[in-house]
Amino acid sequence: MSSYAEFLEEKKKIDELYEKGYTITAVREDLSGAYLTFERSKLDLNDIEEKIELHILTADTRKYFSNLIIAQQKELI
Amino acid sequence: MHLNRVKDKKISLKDLRKNFSEFEPALTPKEAVEESNRCLYCYDAPCIKACPTGINIPSFIKKIASGNLKGSAKVIMEANPVGASCARVCPTEELCEGACVLNNASLPIMIGNLQRHATNWAIQNSEQLFQAGEANGKSVGIIGGGPAGLSAARELARLGYEVTIFEAKEKAGGLDTHGIVSFRLPQEISLWEVEQVEKLGVKIHTNTKVGRDIPVEEVMNNFDAVVLAAGMSKVPMLGIEGEEAEGVFDAIDFVENTKTPPLDQQFIGKKIVVIGAGNTAIDAATCSVRLGAGDVKMIYRRTESEMTAYEFEYEFAKQDGVEFRWLTQPIKIIKDKAGHVKALECVRMELGEPDDSGRRRPTPVAGSEFSMEVDAVIKAIGQTRYVNLIEELGLEHNRGVVKIDMNTHQTSNPKVYAAGDVIFGDGQGDAMVVTAAQQGKLTAYAIHKQLITDEATLESV
Amino acid sequence: MADLRVNFAGIKAPNPFWLASAPPTNSGYQVQRAFEAGWGGAVWKTLGEPILNVSSRFAGTHFNGQRVVGFNNIELITDRPLEVNLQEIYETKKKFPNHAVIASLMVEPKQEKWHEIVKKVQDVGVDGFELNFGCPHGMAERGMGSASGQVPELVEKQTYWAKEAAKVPVIVKLTPNITDITATAYAAVQGGADAVSMINTINSLAGVDIDTWKTIPNVAGKGAHGGYCGPAVKPIALNMVAECARNPEINVPISGMGGVSTWKDAVEFMLMGAGSIQVCTAAMHHGFSIVEDMVDGLNNYLDDKGIESVAGLIGQSVEKYSDWGHLDLNYKVVARINNDVCINCNKCHIACEDTSHQCIDMLTSENGNAYLEVREEDCVGCNLCSIVCPVDGAISMVEIPNGEPMTWNQRQEAIKLPICNS
Repeated sequence: MSSYAEFLEEKKKIDELYEKGYTITAVREDLSGAYLTFERSKLDLNDIEEKIELHILTADTRKYFSNLIIAQQKELI
Repeated sequence: MHLNRVKDKKISLKDLRKNFSEFEPALTPKEAVEESNRCLYCYDAPCIKACPTGINIPSFIKKIASGNLKGSAKVIMEANPVGASCARVCPTEELCEGACVLNNASLPIMIGNLQRHATNWAIQNSEQLFQAGEANGKSVGIIGGGPAGLSAARELARLGYEVTIFEAKEKAGGLDTHGIVSFRLPQEISLWEVEQVEKLGVKIHTNTKVGRDIPVEEVMNNFDAVVLAAGMSKVPMLGIEGEEAEGVFDAIDFVENTKTPPLDQQFIGKKIVVIGAGNTAIDAATCSVRLGAGDVKMIYRRTESEMTAYEFEYEFAKQDGVEFRWLTQPIKIIKDKAGHVKALECVRMELGEPDDSGRRRPTPVAGSEFSMEVDAVIKAIGQTRYVNLIEELGLEHNRGVVKIDMNTHQTSNPKVYAAGDVIFGDGQGDAMVVTAAQQGKLTAYAIHKQLITDEATLESV
Repeated sequence: MADLRVNFAGIKAPNPFWLASAPPTNSGYQVQRAFEAGWGGAVWKTLGEPILNVSSRFAGTHFNGQRVVGFNNIELITDRPLEVNLQEIYETKKKFPNHAVIASLMVEPKQEKWHEIVKKVQDVGVDGFELNFGCPHGMAERGMGSASGQVPELVEKQTYWAKEAAKVPVIVKLTPNITDITATAYAAVQGGADAVSMINTINSLAGVDIDTWKTIPNVAGKGAHGGYCGPAVKPIALNMVAECARNPEINVPISGMGGVSTWKDAVEFMLMGAGSIQVCTAAMHHGFSIVEDMVDGLNNYLDDKGIESVAGLIGQSVEKYSDWGHLDLNYKVVARINNDVCINCNKCHIACEDTSHQCIDMLTSENGNAYLEVREEDCVGCNLCSIVCPVDGAISMVEIPNGEPMTWNQRQEAIKLPICNS
């Protein structure tokens, strides 16, 4: 699989979580890549889990979520 | 051929031998390094695809650049057992150099000259580049020691066959040894290639014409397979009056006579007419000039655009001062009292409708006959076939063109394979040395497949 | 006609092209020939206690049939008595009063030695000094040259001693044989240097003869490391100039050298902060006349760009040189192949396929023509294909709009606390 396709797959997972109202609340990076913690506020909670962890492998996705974080920080400010 | 690299174009009447020494100078080591470094080392290079023998050209050029000349020569000769000759005689403009990607950006790499440089190194250093394979107990007889026969023999010997070549002439090498003008291809180059094959244990019986000096049956019975690679024969008769006159020559014989000393002095200052406009005709004309002829004309019944000689050969002849008379057909050779050629009677032609070959058919213009004074006439209107031999072998053929199965290289007799000029024509192959070499190689592999691989496969079943 | 004159730390010259301290500036005869040929200045071959040289001194690095892509030498400083050099410097300066004559100096790291040589040399009227803290071979074994130039304290002290006696500007020439050249450059500045120059030659062994197994060059069968220079070292030199130029603590002019062969190289060094340019290998390869095109090319370049004086070039690219952490991770270029120009050598394909990101496809069009195409989504914009492409204009690196910039440093800051409610 081309690395671009891998990126698209990972990006899709992140986008889906965002659509469901999740945001990235923590990033942990190590030799295996990046582990993102997604959370959404209790107000939006129906009956699904409120905390999800994603393991991100590709470099492009790691750039992508970093951009999302910066964008969300800008919004907050 | 790079005519611009030729420095000395003068013809010496005092020392004819000088006129026959190799015309284009070899690359100097500096030229070779500069030129080899100019090669882009393309991936999936078009020059390789354009070479009938598939020489890995970027590889051998890179090896020249790196100073690995032995490796370079080996890459060349591995793919083409007559690679030293081909370096000089291949129409590279139409093959590798024509395909070089640098044609579109600057100037194509002088692949032929680099190939000559690397193989010259091997010749000068007496390198034996290949070894015979472990004997496999099978034997192959090859009729004809020209490019196709040598090429087949070399590969078969490497595969472990006991190979015997039957060569009608005194020396093997065929066209490369006898038929290509010395100033393009000195005989010693071709003889080195013969020696390379001989050193693999291939027996070459020279002065041995199959059907004359050894019965056809003997050849057929003594080997597990036979390769017919006899090439082509003499120039056909013109079919005009006076053809038997003294001073009428066969172009093939004429060129062959210039390949070994002494050179004939009788043409100095003479008027020579060559009939035909193919590559052999050009060879005869340029040899005439080099033998000191005072006036050399080529006559051809069609025009410049129908001539079959390569463009660079035509250019070469023009530079040599050869005159071309188009739309001119010989009709009679006039002799003097001693039976020697005195004049050639011709008629002017005009082109009509296209014939079978797609070329416009020439027809005589009534009343246009004229005569020209000549001292010698050289016929170069194609070559005849060894039909007798082919028929004695009992092979199917079409006017001397032996039929083969393109996949197995077998003739109508499965024990007999054929390669080179004997199969050229009727849409089979090309009349180039390099094509003959490739056919020889492929024939060797085909034989191996039949005799060893298939047998092994059968045994393993 | 642009104004090519330079005033480098107070040293004036008709143009920025100076011969570096090296074999070409060994004598008055040579330096005067150089000035006649058009060189704007010359740094005299290093003066010091006369040494002894070996026979067999230089070696060239040749690549793919191209001679002297690099150059190695084991020659030491001047082997002539100081008085002979001084006499010739005096005569040269008299004949060429407007050209820059700079004396390169090397003595033991002792205050009195520096005072002595500086005083003696400046009496003949040099325009400046260049302290040789760079030669990596021979002299270094005796505690001079790069041996003292690798120790910031020694650089600072010796600069200070030279400055104590000098009435003309002092340039400190630095060795590249050090991990961080800004450390020694800073030491020079602390010592009071009016300018720094770089780079001296890089420790090198030019080669080994694969037939005799002797070093290249060899002296009676033995070799010792030399100093490497020539076109091959240009990127190393340019970086060192740039690193010093962008360091605010190294606030003195820089004389740039190392592989400058053409006016284009010189422009690059000037854009990265060099206020004058020194050249040696190119002159040794081709003779002094090469300066003619350096001057002419620079002049035409400045005219084309509408820049009135070389001063308008100096340092213009320095702010564009930074740390990796400040580069925009979102910036994206991709390769695009112009099939009208492409000659189908397939070098881009195999380079990408074997050694990069496998994104250049070899395809065949409907009419049977072979062509190459980049899968842009998989292209990381590494430039490799355009580097190996032999034809100008066949591959261009095209910028793809890709959102707001984000540097590594910004990213690392941002992901520490993804939700910062503060």
